[in-house]
Amino acid sequence: MTEAQERIRNFCVIAHVDHGKTTLSDRILETTGTVNARQMRDQMLDNMDLEREKGITIKARAVRMAWTVAGEPYELNLIDTPGHVDFNYEVSRSLAACEGAVLLVDVSQGIEAQTLANAYLAVEQGLEIIPVINKVDLPNVDLDLVREDLRKALGFRDDEILLTSGKSGLGVRELLDAVVARVPAPTGARAAPLRALIFDSHYDQFRGVVAHVRVVDGEVAVGDRIRLFATDKEADLLELGTFAPDPRTRDRLLTGEVGYLATGLKTVQDCRVGDTVTLAIRRALEPLPGYRPAKPMVFAGLYPQSSDDHPALKDALEKLKLNDASLIYEPEVSQALGFGFRCGFLGLLHLEIVQERLDREYGVDIIATAPSVEYRVLTTRGAEVAIDNPAMLPDLTTIEEIREPWMKVTIIVPTQHVGAVMELAQGKRSALAEMTYLDPTRAMLRYEMPLSEVIVDFYDQLKSRSQGYASLDYELEGYRAADVVLLDVLVAGQPVDALSTIVHRERAQHTGRALVSKLRELIPRQQFDVPIQAAIGGKVVARETVKALRKNVIAKCYGGDITRKRKLLEKQKAGKKRMKMVGQVEIPQEAFLAVLRTGEAPS
Amino acid sequence: MRGISLYVHIPFCAARCPYCDFATAPATSALRARYLDALVAEIAREGALLGRPRVRTIYVGGGTPSLLEPDEVGRLARALAEAFTVRPREVTVEANPATLDRARLEAWRAFGVTRLSLGAQSFSGRGLRALGRTHQPDDVAPAVDAGRSVGLRVSLDLIFGWPGQTPAEWRADLGAAISLGVDHLSCYPLELELTREDAVANWPGGGWPTLARWRAATAATQPDDRAIAVLYAMAHRHLARAGYRHYEIANWARPGSRSLHNAVYWRSGEWLGVGAGAHSHLAGARSHQPAALPAYIERVERALGRIADAAGDPAAEEAMLRLRLDTGIDIGRSAARWGTPASARIRGALVTSARRGLIRWSGERATLTPRGRILANEVFVRLLP
Repeated sequence: MTEAQERIRNFCVIAHVDHGKTTLSDRILETTGTVNARQMRDQMLDNMDLEREKGITIKARAVRMAWTVAGEPYELNLIDTPGHVDFNYEVSRSLAACEGAVLLVDVSQGIEAQTLANAYLAVEQGLEIIPVINKVDLPNVDLDLVREDLRKALGFRDDEILLTSGKSGLGVRELLDAVVARVPAPTGARAAPLRALIFDSHYDQFRGVVAHVRVVDGEVAVGDRIRLFATDKEADLLELGTFAPDPRTRDRLLTGEVGYLATGLKTVQDCRVGDTVTLAIRRALEPLPGYRPAKPMVFAGLYPQSSDDHPALKDALEKLKLNDASLIYEPEVSQALGFGFRCGFLGLLHLEIVQERLDREYGVDIIATAPSVEYRVLTTRGAEVAIDNPAMLPDLTTIEEIREPWMKVTIIVPTQHVGAVMELAQGKRSALAEMTYLDPTRAMLRYEMPLSEVIVDFYDQLKSRSQGYASLDYELEGYRAADVVLLDVLVAGQPVDALSTIVHRERAQHTGRALVSKLRELIPRQQFDVPIQAAIGGKVVARETVKALRKNVIAKCYGGDITRKRKLLEKQKAGKKRMKMVGQVEIPQEAFLAVLRTGEAPS
Repeated sequence: MRGISLYVHIPFCAARCPYCDFATAPATSALRARYLDALVAEIAREGALLGRPRVRTIYVGGGTPSLLEPDEVGRLARALAEAFTVRPREVTVEANPATLDRARLEAWRAFGVTRLSLGAQSFSGRGLRALGRTHQPDDVAPAVDAGRSVGLRVSLDLIFGWPGQTPAEWRADLGAAISLGVDHLSCYPLELELTREDAVANWPGGGWPTLARWRAATAATQPDDRAIAVLYAMAHRHLARAGYRHYEIANWARPGSRSLHNAVYWRSGEWLGVGAGAHSHLAGARSHQPAALPAYIERVERALGRIADAAGDPAAEEAMLRLRLDTGIDIGRSAARWGTPASARIRGALVTSARRGLIRWSGERATLTPRGRILANEVFVRLLP
């Protein structure tokens, strides 16, 4: 190992949303002199508006910093990790690029489910973990309680735990010293053929796809022709460098270093997170372990509000996909909603982000159907079909078995809310696998639960039943046989395919009733009675009627009222624009998500 | 100038009717004298600015204009005569049945009034109580007689759909109005505005929360839309049989007794409105004065003129207003006036509404069907661009 390589420390920060990762990262950048206070833009590392608004980091970035310990200079690479359960795989690749991780815990919140899951992931990958309790300058903090969390959950000793404040900068120097002292230098053979791990990539309109990499073996230089293992794509490197935090071009990246490669590739599909970069002329024999193509878990139909917008939606999805390898979509036709796309997402947050970006960045007004999971249907003829759209479920007589994805779900919750959380989980077809107390105030519950239950209103309910304190993490456990049926919805006698859902047989009637009653609230009165029915296999299980509109008139209209009445009508008009005509009935956008809201109390 | 119509707003009332959302103020208001000064000043200023136009119709509304003192009425008449060329075909004054005495009636006669609009609202004690009115059922007939005795045409306002009202009670109200033989009737379903109004500031202590509570409680106990639609249909049928033409969504008239002044609003004619909360439509632009008395007075005293309304779509606005009338809209004329794109949009919207049974076509003329009248907003929203 060269001396330069011995002086590299690659690390990341694992933290829950709001536990102060971004603020602490800013202090680290300041303390190392990477960015001076004047240049300091708040929340440097989160560079998408949407991320800032949602307070989460979606795309990982790495920043190179210099730090001196006992007169010796070190190169520190801080690799950012996404903070949401939907981006689990991206987190695991960021971790794989590091030798160490700072586990950051908010003193007033304690350890949260995702943080713990990520910490376990880091431990499994052999990372050196530096436990840090943050925000210690807050009043009335109970350090011992958080120390007990860290001891119980991860086996740390009290003397290993550092204390910091991102706000005041307290403990940041000690933290940087600990990174140098405790995190091992990257191993890796300088003489071996190039193997670099892509832990993030994004599309840049001038440089093409920019891959963020950790060089594991060998080295890479400007002008090299690189090759990507998983996609078999090759590209000539036009530019490479590091971020500090602005890009600084370099001639080469050496073993153990972290930086970016400007590949000139046209889409992030070709340059996927987790893939290995090698050289075209001197190929490595094996890729780095752990690559896995992005696998969507949640599916929904996206339809343009107005059919004229179909080309615009298609164009927007194509552009989004340039920068989001995990988004998949294919054309779909709904009788109710016309031409649209069935899209696959990593999870609900990912879905929400895509929807918002379509609206905000591309100005496409869409209707989204309720999210669904992917069912695997075994037919009587022995074939296995993947169904990600409930309306596509084959005829029941041809089905041997339906399987659905199950998740391992971890919930950390204050002990006083354990009962409420268990009650919620029980209604979700779950099995309690384990319950442990992290400290006298907080418990960790592990469940096995169908994903279809997790995506329908589980997170919101969990938050409301725990007064916002519960945290959640989940990962795929496998597919299991499911006793499910297709619940159809008929509006004014017409089946509306976009409202069909697959539900557990035992609860089909209950869900059907809740769904039609929610729809009755959401569908505005029309000029005629509109019956809303839920049906299973042609048998109606629930029915409600939206009573006909009998009066809608501004009866008194004289000189003084005209402007005011016009405003009132404009409001009604705006409401109508958000409606979709299905047959003779105007159905508002929210109705297509009604199945998610059947748990809410009627308003 | 071909002549305009004139609306004069007198906000003062003996008591506040809790459902009313016009600009009103207590009759005993300390601002009464200053208000009348401001009104007279505004009349003078506007008359001069417009070049002393001819005034075709006058409507003195409120509030309760009938409680002005005879000398106040005289002062108003003089101000109008100085500022405008007053040769009106119709002069209406609104009156509360209980406040119209002989002396006042004479003052209004001298003013040139031809038409009396009485806020009867109901002939039922239960109805008047439900509406928070202070006059008695027996006040109406003498007020009608008083007006007719001096040769005035008489119009009555009735409100239906108050909490607890039965179809039989509504039928009795309609019957009472018919038997008084009035020339004109306005029947409104009780509509309660639940957002705060500026005019509330004119009353001591403001009192919006109290008003809002009354309105919310009343709205909650009103007959439902279906029942109101039934009452509306009853009015249509009973008044038609008694010889009243349903010529506008909420207005009925004996032959030759339609309101000329209100027709100016519905035909997008030109009018000047003076006084607090009054609206104007002159040279294609809409404008208004503030509803709060101090704001109005200050504006006039500082000679600031009226506040311009945000421009709407004039073609759509005209179509909506004309459709209120039994004469409807001639789409050919609309095309000539507003151009092809606007009239094509309006025609398209009307065709859609016709399919829903809300519009009837006869040649190029579209009118609301009976069902279209009570669902008129369903037609109107489609007209908006």
